[in-house]
Amino acid sequence: MSEPISKLTGRGNYFEDFVVGAKMRHARGTTIGEIENQMLTKLVLNTADGHYNEHRMQSTNFKTRLVFGLVTGSVCIGLATQDTGENALAELELDGIRFTSPVFHGDTLYAYSEVLEKRDADRDDAGIVRFKHWGAKQDGTVVFEGERTVLIKRRSHWGNK
Amino acid sequence: MAAPDFAEFKLVPKGHSFEDFEEGQVFEHHWGRTLNAGDNSLFTTATLTHCPLYYNAEYARAHSHPDVVINPLLIACTAVGLSVEDLSEGGGPFLGISGLKFHQPMYPGDTLRARSTVVSKRESQSRGNFGIVTWRTEGRNQRGELVISYERTNLVARRRETKK
Repeated sequence: MSEPISKLTGRGNYFEDFVVGAKMRHARGTTIGEIENQMLTKLVLNTADGHYNEHRMQSTNFKTRLVFGLVTGSVCIGLATQDTGENALAELELDGIRFTSPVFHGDTLYAYSEVLEKRDADRDDAGIVRFKHWGAKQDGTVVFEGERTVLIKRRSHWGNK
Repeated sequence: MAAPDFAEFKLVPKGHSFEDFEEGQVFEHHWGRTLNAGDNSLFTTATLTHCPLYYNAEYARAHSHPDVVINPLLIACTAVGLSVEDLSEGGGPFLGISGLKFHQPMYPGDTLRARSTVVSKRESQSRGNFGIVTWRTEGRNQRGELVISYERTNLVARRRETKK
């Protein structure tokens, strides 16, 4: 690549920049609709039609399609990624993934993160950061929570590459 | 011509009930899924996963990858998706995922297969129509190498005729 790769990503989210206990409210939200729920649920071969059969779901207590939990989780982690994984080398682990309230088409999701832990990796050009993420709807209802462990570049090695 | 009476057509059932699961039981899930570059771009952009490893091949190659990296959350969603008919299509809320590990990257053209083992099953104290089942799922690539593993727990509906 002729252009330095460090020009392609942010300057403020290398391993050195994360402080344990720091809490982030991520800037963007997104409204969940046909693309996020119906398209992605079908893309990954999830056969549960409660995520894409509006007619059948109208006769349930929910009255409408439910958003697939992992679509909610993927969107919430996605909304957090620029700030917590733009300079990642690899996603390592997820744990404690919970979907605490149903999400419906038309709901808007926002993401929040806290830095739980930082530690050295088995390579000296990166370190490991563990985050707690939350996803909330437009009314503040928490719909998703989980921990995520990421291998993130150190500026000392990658900042000028 | 009159439409046929669809009430006479027998439902082809899908999914399993709480009673169908036994500890130690193994499911080799159907289909498999080759993850291609289009899947990866659609998933990554629709979920706003803003890391160029997933959508800039030159950037990915500068990090010693042969191509863009498949978004790990797409691997997780696909492993779960492949397992739904066997494990959870019978109905019941998703309770959680724990201990998920991404063991190695996947690239466009790689194929994911999933298999699950029943770890435990127990009655639900609060919801008599459901039981609680935990499965361990492993996803492997076309070479049989482990790429993802996790435990998933769901409420699983009991068979309709035994519902209270």
